[in-house]
Amino acid sequence: MVDDVFDEVGLKVEDLHASYGAVEVLRGLNFEVAAKGVSVILGANGAGKTTTLRAICNMCSTSGKVTLGEEDITRTGTAEIVRRGVAHVPQGRGTFPELSTMDNLMIGAYTRKDGEVRDDVERWFEIFPRLAERQDQLAGSLSGGEQQMLAVARALMCRPRLLLLDEPSLGLAPLIIEDLFERFGTLNKETGLTMLIVEQNANLALEMADYGYVIESGEITLSGSADQLRNDPAVQEAYLGA
Amino acid sequence: MDLVLLLQRIFDALFNSAIYSSLALALVIIFRSTGLLNFAQGEMATFTAYIAFVLLAGPQPRLTGGGLAGLIPGVPFSIPLAIFGAVLCGMAAGAMTERALIRPLGGASDVALVNITIGLLLATNSLMAQWWGTGPRFFPAIFPTGAGQHFTILGARLRYSTVGVWVILLSALILLVLLLRHTKTGLAFRAVSISPSNAELVGVRVGPTLMYGWAMASGFGALAACLSANSVLLEPNMMLRVLVYAFAAATLGGLDSPKGALLGGLIIGLSQTLIPAYVPFIGFELSVLPALVAMVVILLIRPAGLFGTQRIERI
Ligand SMILES: Nc1ncnc2c1ncn2[C@@H]1O[C@H](COP(=O)(O)OP(=O)(O)O)[C@@H](O)[C@H]1O
Ligand SMILES: [Mg+2]
Repeated sequence: MVDDVFDEVGLKVEDLHASYGAVEVLRGLNFEVAAKGVSVILGANGAGKTTTLRAICNMCSTSGKVTLGEEDITRTGTAEIVRRGVAHVPQGRGTFPELSTMDNLMIGAYTRKDGEVRDDVERWFEIFPRLAERQDQLAGSLSGGEQQMLAVARALMCRPRLLLLDEPSLGLAPLIIEDLFERFGTLNKETGLTMLIVEQNANLALEMADYGYVIESGEITLSGSADQLRNDPAVQEAYLGA
Repeated sequence: MDLVLLLQRIFDALFNSAIYSSLALALVIIFRSTGLLNFAQGEMATFTAYIAFVLLAGPQPRLTGGGLAGLIPGVPFSIPLAIFGAVLCGMAAGAMTERALIRPLGGASDVALVNITIGLLLATNSLMAQWWGTGPRFFPAIFPTGAGQHFTILGARLRYSTVGVWVILLSALILLVLLLRHTKTGLAFRAVSISPSNAELVGVRVGPTLMYGWAMASGFGALAACLSANSVLLEPNMMLRVLVYAFAAATLGGLDSPKGALLGGLIIGLSQTLIPAYVPFIGFELSVLPALVAMVVILLIRPAGLFGTQRIERI
């Protein structure tokens, strides 16, 4: 058990184990994400970041406990977890290359039954005008940056409570990454959307996050506020290139 | 060359083409969504033709072997209604196959699943032989087929039944395209076809979506069987040959393209009739050869088939 670090907890993960076949990849993770906050998990390649997000969404075999707000979602199926309000932008972005930009956004709203889907599409087109220009183009033909924008917009079309982002900076040019993180920050401030970001690129992630964890070989080895982590010598050496 | 004769041969080939296209469409729908070639598609289709037969004839003396035939009360339906009922039954059977046989084995390799469909082919075939016997049965035509039941175009005869099967096939295809393009379920189906795991991440329930796919596919299969049962006579092995041609047609068209399946069926049907007619050393007994040659040539030029998806990816 962990003591709640935050006033209000958006996501709570207790003693999370995950394995692929006989290989245990996560070895008892405990962490929380503050409601309306931005948390980041830092870790090197192969540390288990992607697996952590997959385990939260029940996309691999796990044990432990995952609580979303007040709901226990440990045994809930992936599609159902999305319906409960978790949007996951997986590594590789999770868009559908052979569908148009517009269809990608529409499928993002698959779980919704309200009549405001079109309004949301318009809103995203205002925020990302390049997507509007390319709405009839196949997603696979967009540039890397545009695809990442589409991936995020696609994920937010389901009006989630919690957004999981798996290395959103991967494969993007530095300027585009900066722009993207700025948008994440704005999104969090304006809508109070809870976010959990996993990253290797610690600089921008820590700038934007309130709280962070470091994962090594499937275990959390360090945690603290973003400021604490930024000033930690071990973090500076391993993740900030100091 | 006698142009009227050429036109006549084309018209004659069009009927079979429609049947090949229809079964090829069934194969393509399932391949597109699950990456699985369903070898049982033809037998499942034949089974529905028997269902139409039972709906038409009721349990009467011509149906030997007892079994299911005896269980259905003798209310003969009209032909179109019986075929419609058979298509619905076929769709239900397709959905059940996905749910009971394919989904529980989701973790198995593709080769294992293909073997399962081959098992299903044999099982369905034996079941039909058991229930309805192996002898061919007369299956009534849905369109008038007698002498004089044709349009005359430039001196060649285009039979009503040929026009009829194409109208039905194209209507069903248009319905399918509308469903895929303009409904939420259709969009979900396309998403699942591209990436089941990503589809799940937007909240699509992958299993039930695939089940719809199997239902739609089996509907096309049922149409193929019910529409051709009159000309080839109804018997358990009725669709075996057709399945081979449908495989060729689907492969030609690219395996994942409905448009390709349609065109593939046309090419196979036409080459099967025209090439033996004009290439002297290929007799009609060898009519499968041109289909094979057409397939190999097209795949050499376009490895993904005529309309197959050349996967686009950009990082
Ligand atoms: N599908 C898989 N099968 C087997 N091992 C895997 C699989 N995916 C990841 N792993 C292993 O699990 C470990 C953690 O992987 P991952 O969670 O992808 O790390 P990260 O996202 O931090 O780079 C790695 O050692 C990786 O090799
Ligand atoms: Mg990763």
